[in-house]
Amino acid sequence: MNKSFIGLVVVSTIFLIYATGFYTNFQTDSALEIVDFSIDQPEIKNSVPPNPDRIPLYGDLHVHTKYSFDAYIFGVTATPYDAYRYAKGEAIKHPLGFDMKLREPLDFYAVTDHGFYMGMIENYADTTSEMSKNEWTKPMHNLNRPENVTVESTGERANLFSSVLTQAIVKPYPYWHPKLWKAWFTNNIQVALQSFDYDVHKSAWADVANAAEEFNKPGEFTTFIGYEFTTSTDVEGGNLHRNVIFNSSKAPIRPWTRIDSLNPEDLWTWMDGLRDKGVDSLAMPHNSNGSNGQMFEVETFRGNPISIEYAEKRMRNEPVVEMTQVKGTSDTHPLLSPDDEWADFEIMDKRVGSRPPTYSMPQGGYVRDAYLRGLTLEWEGRGNPYKFGLIGSSDTHTGAGAFYEDDYWSKTGVLDGTDMGRGSVPLTEDRIDQLTQYSIDYSQPISTKEIEGRTYADVGFDQWSASGLAVAWAEENTRDSIFQAFKRKETFATTGTRMAVRFFAGFDMESIDMDSEDMVKNAYAKGVTMGADLFSQDNQTPQFLVWAQRDKLGAPLQRVQIIKGWVENASGTPKEKVYDVACSDGLTVDPVTNRCPDNGAKVNINDCSISSDVGASELKTTWVDPDFDPTIKAFYYVRVLENPTCRWSTWDALKAGVKPRPDLHETIQERAWSSPIWFIPESDELDIIPL
Amino acid sequence: MSLRIFVFFAIGLLIFILDIGFNAEQDSKDIYISDQELTSLLSAWKSQVGRPPSDEEIVSIINNFVQEEILYREALLLNLDQEDRIIKRRLAQKITFLKQETIPDDPSEEELERFFEQNKNDYYVPATYSFSHHYFSKESDAKERASKAFNAYQTDGVEIIGDPFFLGKNFYQNTANEIKKNFGELFFLSVENLSINEWSGPHESAFGYHIILLKEVKTGFSPPLEKVLLRVQQDYLSQAQDKAIAEYIDEIRSQYRVIINPEYKF
Repeated sequence: MNKSFIGLVVVSTIFLIYATGFYTNFQTDSALEIVDFSIDQPEIKNSVPPNPDRIPLYGDLHVHTKYSFDAYIFGVTATPYDAYRYAKGEAIKHPLGFDMKLREPLDFYAVTDHGFYMGMIENYADTTSEMSKNEWTKPMHNLNRPENVTVESTGERANLFSSVLTQAIVKPYPYWHPKLWKAWFTNNIQVALQSFDYDVHKSAWADVANAAEEFNKPGEFTTFIGYEFTTSTDVEGGNLHRNVIFNSSKAPIRPWTRIDSLNPEDLWTWMDGLRDKGVDSLAMPHNSNGSNGQMFEVETFRGNPISIEYAEKRMRNEPVVEMTQVKGTSDTHPLLSPDDEWADFEIMDKRVGSRPPTYSMPQGGYVRDAYLRGLTLEWEGRGNPYKFGLIGSSDTHTGAGAFYEDDYWSKTGVLDGTDMGRGSVPLTEDRIDQLTQYSIDYSQPISTKEIEGRTYADVGFDQWSASGLAVAWAEENTRDSIFQAFKRKETFATTGTRMAVRFFAGFDMESIDMDSEDMVKNAYAKGVTMGADLFSQDNQTPQFLVWAQRDKLGAPLQRVQIIKGWVENASGTPKEKVYDVACSDGLTVDPVTNRCPDNGAKVNINDCSISSDVGASELKTTWVDPDFDPTIKAFYYVRVLENPTCRWSTWDALKAGVKPRPDLHETIQERAWSSPIWFIPESDELDIIPL
Repeated sequence: MSLRIFVFFAIGLLIFILDIGFNAEQDSKDIYISDQELTSLLSAWKSQVGRPPSDEEIVSIINNFVQEEILYREALLLNLDQEDRIIKRRLAQKITFLKQETIPDDPSEEELERFFEQNKNDYYVPATYSFSHHYFSKESDAKERASKAFNAYQTDGVEIIGDPFFLGKNFYQNTANEIKKNFGELFFLSVENLSINEWSGPHESAFGYHIILLKEVKTGFSPPLEKVLLRVQQDYLSQAQDKAIAEYIDEIRSQYRVIINPEYKF
């Protein structure tokens, strides 16, 4: 017999055995395999009984550590354990060596590293790893050894992030390779990629889960096992990122990532599958502002019309949206809400991760617009996929969220850890040379710009913010209590400030004594709160009750507003209106303009001090919609505004002893947004034929 | 002579082959499930689901077990366990557990006590405060209203009526950190120095002025060993285990020689 023939038979037999072996071994879809990550801990008795009036708990559900492919490239070596220590009030180190510390600890925190390639870059950088033997990992070797984490490495790191990585990691094994077969049989496509080590990936994920378990202390501090599903549309780079958190110590063996599917609907299918197996989770979209209008589209990912099934599936899995974070705020855009004087707030109008920074279409990218689109879709009988609640979070990539305007480190480690890197302070000659050289070396767009004779870095970081926080109204600080608040949408978002807001609606709210100690209890009993539906009762006019309290370490409150959106019955035209409902300093709302008079709060730009004699520590009121129509479906949400304070870019300039950049806002008004209350008219079925 | 040796070898070879044949058959193709195995499978199922399995479920539990065993054995036959990092790690873990278990479970009382003394701070129970308060909102001359109300209460026993506070009126067993979080540092300093069951005020907070009734203080304390015995034992054990592993590795390491290419360029 011919030797090569025998060889062929042997080789093909081996493959058959491999293939069939793996096939039987992994006949279940492995992404649905559940692992119990719980660890033995002495049980802590929570002696404080749950509070039926609920308490506001502050947290951050969007935190990256060294396990995220981009964070590692940005020089971050903070572990999930470091991140949780930070949340509990300890100082941790920024990659550039300074301390990051909270002024007050947070109540809950979730480390959400990118699921895609989780843990892999650290493995490339580790020269003892199998992966590091590949030629293409060379630029990443020892990337984050202390001597390599410098401001000078910014250009190289930016290049790694934007080009080297994407070219290197997409290469699959050849068709005959057992790993490719394994990937096919196990429905785990990432295994087929030459740059991917499944063991490394799984152990990173297990470490993320273990850190969450170790720091979760019922009654004191809550953590969630979670990750970021970092997907996008395949054309035009429309960001469709969302974070996923699990309500248990049990979680899947690996995160479902963009390699499994780019389509968020497949993520929901996977989450539904896990829920059937007893593991509940929720996904939270973020940076809709940088999605080029794709986040809240009026069609599905594949371009089909939205259906009731789609709406139900989306709402089942995505009850809340992260609407403010470091990469801007997605309440609304001045082009979408020309009559809202506060719409131009921390607008980040570039597509996420685009190089050169590319404009992101506002329509479909902001939550107010999404609520209106939801009503329109419902008006067309397709269900409402955009009936979500609101939260904020930081999206920090250093393990530590930057929430203070006067102590701000942005999010991408080495890249924006300095004022010059962030574009708030003019560049020195050296830094100009570096940035120019970087543009030449890596054929990148020019990353500096001239403003009034000074040269600033121009990489988009000037549009970023010291924001935000997620706040849940929960009975107690436990994982389940907070998770259920998200599901009820009884949440509000803040720009990092610890203000608090209550919001109720009902038909008998005016009977509640606003000065009684039982006010909250009565409001719960007689009405609905944020995130809920208010059903019409005999065409009565509802009353709203709002109560806001300032952040004791922040600026006092200036005004409380209610934002209303509705769709006209006859034409289906979406409409919106902003009403001031409570003013500070004893001022009253002008009934014609629906605006509070100016309370005269000022900021001194020379030292960032603020007026000490104006503003409120709390604002409380009942309100009736003067334009109420009981036949029209509408949503109402609260926006609370603080007195103005210096923006981080002004603080940066002040500390550096230079003039603030003239094209940036000098001051901002920190704020909070409640989840909406939806008013549902008696007869939802209207006999109107759309023309 | 040579023939005898040949026959000797031939018989030996025959026995060897037969042995392989029979044993291979017996060892690798029989799956014996012991009573204990069954009991533990069924009770594990019960503890997860919360009820005993139905007949159908028992069949599927056993089938799953059998299937896993078959796949495991087939994988071993293919040497799939060789050079597999997960298996390596698992084995390393197993020997670690083994070494951990060799530590005497019950440390002597003196050892425990010494450990407890050294780590007393870890077991400190922070003070808690239970209190009620009347709140006077900053919005309208809070201090004056608060003083007036308090004086009227003190001289004529008039009931104090303030404004509702955002987080309520009664606070039960709050730690210093919780009070600081809800009212600010200043307020906590006041609470800390109040006498029990005596209305006092006005005291300033970040939100206005308060007349406070401190109802109960549970002073912070280092609990006696008996109270936290379980935790101390666990902590002691985990520290002892870490130490034992480190010692074991140190000891065994000296028997190994590590060879690295001296010419390798790092």
